Formats: sequence, structure tokens, C-alpha cells
Amino acid sequence: MPHSEHLSKQYDSDLEDIRSRVLQMGGLVEAQILAAIECFGSGNYDLMAQVTDTDRRVNSYEIEIDDACAHVIAKRQPAAGDLRLIMAVSKIVTDLERTGDEAEKIARMAKNIYDRGRLQIPRSADVRHAGNLAVAMLRRVLDAMARLDAAEAERIIDEDAAIDDEFRGIVRQLVTFVMEDPRTISTVLDIVWIAKAIERIGDHAKNIAEQVIYIVHGTDVRHTVKEGHGEPDGGPQ
Amino acid sequence: MPSVWIPLLIRLAAVAAGGLVAGALFGSVAGALTAAAILLLMLLSHTAHLARLQRWLKAPEQREIPDAWGAWGNVFVDLYRMLRREHKARARIEADLEVFSQAAEASPDGLVFLDNEDHIVWCNRVAEQQLGLRGERDVGLLVTNLIRLPRFAEFIANAREGESLQYRPPDRKGRVFSIEAIRFGRDRKLLVSFDVTQIEKAETVRRDFVANVSHELRTPLTVISGFIEHMVEDPAPDPAESKHQLVMMDEQARRMLHLVDDLLTLSRLEDETQLPREEEFDVRDLIFDISAEGRRLSGGRHSITCEVVPALLKGSREELRSAFSNLATNAVRYTPEGGRILLRWQMREGKGVFSVEDSGIGIPEEHIPRLTERFYRVDRGRSRESGGTGLGLSIVKHILLRHQASLEIASVPGVGSTFSAVFPTWRVTPPQG
Repeated sequence: MPHSEHLSKQYDSDLEDIRSRVLQMGGLVEAQILAAIECFGSGNYDLMAQVTDTDRRVNSYEIEIDDACAHVIAKRQPAAGDLRLIMAVSKIVTDLERTGDEAEKIARMAKNIYDRGRLQIPRSADVRHAGNLAVAMLRRVLDAMARLDAAEAERIIDEDAAIDDEFRGIVRQLVTFVMEDPRTISTVLDIVWIAKAIERIGDHAKNIAEQVIYIVHGTDVRHTVKEGHGEPDGGPQ
Repeated sequence: MPSVWIPLLIRLAAVAAGGLVAGALFGSVAGALTAAAILLLMLLSHTAHLARLQRWLKAPEQREIPDAWGAWGNVFVDLYRMLRREHKARARIEADLEVFSQAAEASPDGLVFLDNEDHIVWCNRVAEQQLGLRGERDVGLLVTNLIRLPRFAEFIANAREGESLQYRPPDRKGRVFSIEAIRFGRDRKLLVSFDVTQIEKAETVRRDFVANVSHELRTPLTVISGFIEHMVEDPAPDPAESKHQLVMMDEQARRMLHLVDDLLTLSRLEDETQLPREEEFDVRDLIFDISAEGRRLSGGRHSITCEVVPALLKGSREELRSAFSNLATNAVRYTPEGGRILLRWQMREGKGVFSVEDSGIGIPEEHIPRLTERFYRVDRGRSRESGGTGLGLSIVKHILLRHQASLEIASVPGVGSTFSAVFPTWRVTPPQG
């Protein structure tokens, strides 16, 4: 145990176990999004089934971790940092589970597009780029959680704006695309859904980053106005 | 023992003698008082030494060894020697440890030491780069919290001998690392990672090659055997139809021949023991030949022009002709009707450059690095119908390699492509005068 603070070794190992299970769940979701983006790029149907399959495992992680949190609260009455960890974890788990749902949505929309037999997908490279940005953000936020690195978490919160910009850019370009060729409407709509799902993944990563700051510093940075941004943002909608 | 006891006995004797002398001179009370006073002084001196020892023991590293007399002096000197010995031993162990960690640091493979619960104890710089760890900062963290690949947790929990895991870091596209988990000591683990990107790539190329060759040979064979089957079943067909079938079979057989020829050419070019013939020839003649050939193939559908600075090139004319003509033929094949093709020979910073510029369909950027792979096709349907074997650019690359030249490809989709063969200065004799 690296930071043994409690008389009960079991308590420490319970807490560490919860943290490491959240990170494992995060790793699974990370792989799931990557697979979903790959589906969109390649139209690999096996991979799509795999994404749906992974979602089931993600869901069971959510239930297990919530259960473990409830157990620790009931048995140990955690205080201070431990309580913050438990509270934050139960929120992070929800965000991760929703991120998994977004990944599944991406795979489903990709299937729609390929079922329609479209070979040319407008703005496909841009969407994949935005997707990779979102995955990188999630990966970094999980790293920050493993390392309890609040400074990194703060940087990640600022980066969410970049993904929002990408999303707006993609939508603008898709609009011109539809105007040129209205037959692409249904495909373009699916792509908008995918882009929106990616944008949501960025939001969830940002929420997790806020929880990481809460674990480390105990300050709640949700719904606060950052200097230079001018608009309040964050928080689940 | 005697070093403590004998001085003490001598001193006690001196005290007794002092007491007796004082007693004899000033009376027994004075004698006893004198003896007591001397004993008290001795006790005070011992206590003072004890206090010094205690003070010194609290921080023996920083303070000088205190001065002392008698037995205390010996004790201090012995303590001091012990400390020096320990210092030396520790320095030696530290130096050994330093050598060990330098050796581990110098290892070309990534190394990570884990304790009995898979917390990181130490890792070298290679491991930091390959696995995305952060050295000192990550010490004490669970390794599975940082490498969150779903299969990794299971892999490391089992840590079976001889089992390895392929790790593709999600943030570095295309890199592959092989990780092995080795148990040692009392339930400790060592992770060893090494870069297998190149091996993996070579393996993929080889696998693809076999699959592609089989596929390419199979297609014409299927056509031929289909016609043969048909003829066996219906031995007396209508002569016009049978002529048509024979023509088709001939076409397919030629295609196979062409493919096998290309494969043989490639394997001959790959044989490094056979160097290309070194002859000097006129580049202009060669390029004019090739442009004539290109015009024949194009049949007037493209405008083909040449722009040549006269020069002599050293190398195998036959091989280079095949390489240049491959590039020109590709341009004719992939440029839509009415397009322009420019064959050019120019000098660039002393180097000779042959380039084929077309106004064709262009190549999306992601395909460019893979173009010279065997059977690599940007658009499968299109290239086969235009009659390529899929080996042309591989052959070009090999021929150029044999002439220490390089192939440069620049392309903009929808605008056109430029393929350039760049020859080193010593192969080129620039125009005279």
C-alpha cells in the first residue's frame, strides 16, 4: 500500500480496489470508442458487434462499482478525502457509462451509413479526427485520475472547447454538402449524430476532470466561469 | 576490559591515596571529604562525556567526534572507526546499486519492476517512452491504473511464463510493443517491453504478399478452367463462339505470364549479389523512346510532351528503361482522356531527376507511403481493369534502389501526381559546355 493511512488495511485495499476498477472501466470505454471510430472509418461489421458487446461489460462494471461504493459507505463511514473519492467515483462511473453509450451510438450510426451502401462518406476524416481528440481527452483524464494530477485535469477542462469547435466546424461543412446534393441527407444526419456523440464524449471527459479536481483539492469547479471564457459551462445537461 | 578497569583501579587508588594524605595532614574528616570531592569530580566528568556521546549519537553524520580522555577517548575512537567502516560499506553498496540501475537504464528494452501488488517500484526510460509512464512520479501507482488495456489486467495477474502481450499504445498510431511479465524473487514481477513495430510490419507484408499472389494467379486460372470445363462438356461448339473463348483464354494466360514475369523480375532485382551493369547512356534517347511508347499506349487520348536537358546517366540501361517506362505507363493509365503528361529530365542541385507529371486523378495522401508495396492498390477495381499487375511500382523502387536513387511521389487528388526518380550526382554527367 503506497499511502497507508488507516488502521484497517482492508479499508485501504477496498478504496484502492474501487479506484482501480474505475480505471479499468475507463480503459474498456476507451477501447470501445476507438473501436467505434474504427467502425465508422472502415465499416467493419464484426467490430460493431464487439462495441455493443463491450457495452454490456461496461454496464456491469457500473453496477459493481456502485455496489462497492455503497458497501464502503455503510461499513466504514468514510470521511474527508475518502468520502470525496467515493462521491466522485459514483459520478465518474455514470459519466463513463454514458460515454460507453455514446460509443455504441457511433457504431450504430456507422452501421446505418454502411447499410445504405454509401462508399463516399463526407467529412469522414474530420469526424475521425474529432473522435481521436475526444479519446485522447478521456485517456488523459484517466491518467490524471490515476496520478491524482489536478493541474492536468484543469488543462483538460480547457481543451473541451477545441472539440466543441470541431463539432461546429463539421456541422457547418455538412450543411453545404447537403445543399449541393440533397440525396445525402440521411447519411449526413447520421454523421451529425456521430459528431454529436463525439462532442458529448468530450463533455463527459470534462465532467470526469472536474471530479478529479474535487478528489484532489475538495473544490467544486462545476458551473464556474473561467476567466477568458465568458460563458458558464460544464455539468451534465 | 582491562583498558577500562585498570585505569579505574589506578584512579580509585589515587583517590584513596589522596584521601589518606589529606587525612594524615588535616584529619580524617578532611580526608574523607577530599576523596568524596575527587569522586564527585570524576562522576561529573563521566556524565559530561555521556551527555556529549548522546548529543553526538543524535546526528553522528553532521558533528565532529567529541574529544575525550581516558576510556571515553577509546570508546569515541572505536565508534568513529565503526562509523567510517559503515560509511565505506554503504558507499560501495550504493556504487554497486548505481551500476545496476545504470545497466538497467542502458537496456534497449523497457523494464518495469513491480512489487507483490503490482505497484510500480522502478522503471527505466525506455519503458517510460514505450508504455507512457512517468518515472519517479508513477512510483507506487498500480501499473494497471496507467496501462488500462482491458486484456492487460488479466495478463499481468496471470504472468505466465513465455506469454506475451501485444500493446498498441492508442496515442501512437502504428507502433506495436511486445510486453512480457516475468515473476522473480518473492512474488515480484518484472515487465519487459520491446518494440516489434518493424517485425510486425514485415510479417504483415509477407502474409499479404502470399495472399495477393495466390489471388492474382487464381483469377485468370478460374476463367481459363471455366472455359475448358465448358469445352469438355460441349466438344463441338459453334466456331465463332469457340474462337471468342480461345481469345479470352489467351488473354488470361498472357496476364498470368505477365504476372509471373514481374514476380521473377522482382526476385532477380532483390538478389543483392548481382549488381546492375554499369554503362553510360544518353538519357535523352531513352526518354524519347519511352514517350513514343507512351503515345502508342495512349492512342492519342493524352498529350504527352518531353522536356529534357541532355545528360549521360550511368547504370543499367535495360533496368532503368523498365523503371521509367513503368512510371510513364502508369501516368497513361491513370490520367483521364484529354489529360497532359510531361516527361522531364532536369538537374537539381547536381542531382539528376527524371520525373513524370500528369494531370490525372491523383492519389489521396494516406496511400502514398504504401504505393510501392507489392499489390498495393488504391482502388482495387480500377487498376485491374486497366491491366496492371500491381507490381509495377515495387519494381521501380527496387531498380532505383539498385542505382542508389530514390523515388519521390507528390500528388494532389483531382489535380495530378508527380513521380520523380532522383539520381545521385556521381551517376550523372551533366551537359557539356
